[in-house]
Amino acid sequence: MNKDIIRIGGVLLSYFLKILMIILLIISIANRHVEWIFGTSLAIIVSLIPTILKRNYQITLPIILDILITTALFLHIGGGILGAYGIIHYDTLTHFVSSFLIAFLAFVIIYILDEYWDGLMMDKYAMAFVVVFTTIAMGVIWEFNEWITDILFGTQEQWGYNDTIKDLFVDMIAGIAMALIGVTMIKRGSFDELTEDFGEQIDKKIIKKRMNKKNG
Amino acid sequence: MGKIKIICRKRCFSFSFLLRIVMIISLFLAIWRKDWVWVVGTFIGLSISILPSILKKDVKFTLPWILDFLIALVTILHMCGRLFDFYYTIENYQLITRFFISLLVAFIGLAMIFIFDEHWDGLKMDKYAMAFVTVIFTMAVGVFLEFIKWINITGTYYVKTNNVLMINLSLDTIAGIIIAIIGVSLIKSGRLEKITDDFGNQINKIVIDRIEKSR
Repeated sequence: MNKDIIRIGGVLLSYFLKILMIILLIISIANRHVEWIFGTSLAIIVSLIPTILKRNYQITLPIILDILITTALFLHIGGGILGAYGIIHYDTLTHFVSSFLIAFLAFVIIYILDEYWDGLMMDKYAMAFVVVFTTIAMGVIWEFNEWITDILFGTQEQWGYNDTIKDLFVDMIAGIAMALIGVTMIKRGSFDELTEDFGEQIDKKIIKKRMNKKNG
Repeated sequence: MGKIKIICRKRCFSFSFLLRIVMIISLFLAIWRKDWVWVVGTFIGLSISILPSILKKDVKFTLPWILDFLIALVTILHMCGRLFDFYYTIENYQLITRFFISLLVAFIGLAMIFIFDEHWDGLKMDKYAMAFVTVIFTMAVGVFLEFIKWINITGTYYVKTNNVLMINLSLDTIAGIIIAIIGVSLIKSGRLEKITDDFGNQINKIVIDRIEKSR
């Protein structure tokens, strides 16, 4: 019962954020801001991926993942359209939410692989370490993306040495936060509940199929 | 065959002995130059090679020769850079040192993962998963190194620009990928097991067994 209430609340929150994104799309159309019309449309499509996965492929993502994806996208486009990136530390907040999303995704994937794949068996503390490393490494890849974009197109994605260091530091903090939350959730058994449906679907649709293919 | 073994052991001993002397000199040099990053680096290097033997005198601690070689190479490269000012006079000298540091970090990462996989019940990993973790471990340690450089207020020779930072992180990634590829091939051929066999048994005795007992 409690689980259902949380799920319904999560779904409602996710749809509320999607409606806000549609409003932002209307604002950018009214302002004829082509860059943000494209960006917001893309963000809405990406935020609908969990729904598409559920309807077309019967894959149910954990609701927290859905909310985190939508929140990260909403904060980014909202910041751009409403000029919130001018607010002090707003950029840090968006970076933290994105990094936390990556860390959560990494934890979910590692946990599912640990549960269902023969190729991985990991202690929960080892998982926490790998999650922190993965989040930092993904942060580095993101910085590579910005750096190369600046070199190729002359943009100003990276604001300088101190800003890049700060971004990497935020990635690390997000990774550590998720690692601590994840370990606590595993101990309580709530991480298993959270990823159970998704894990079974991934096992059925990907892991077992691959294993069968490998075994001929 | 016996003679070859004896000669090899003597050489390995003298090489390890030489390495420790180089590291102790390097530690004093780093303190003298107030190079705190290098003080920490040399201290870690010394800890890896000496501390276990001091803590447990009955255990003969032998590092895999690749690890011994890389630690020596990195220490010597940095010492030369600081003593003869190669960091200023040779273009991209810093990048060469950084690349070998990253190779060393990546190999330590790979060796530790492999040893834990072999000896610890808390970790069983496919070789490709090991390769992946080696790469992300190297990238993450590279970021920690950059944090130390950023905090370092006394160091004057570090070039703190975004471009240098990104090049350093690129070198970490490349080094991680190289060791991951070599590592997978070494695991497939069974040579990594041979290289890390003694070291793994010692880590098992000194660290893993104790952790498992305390649990």
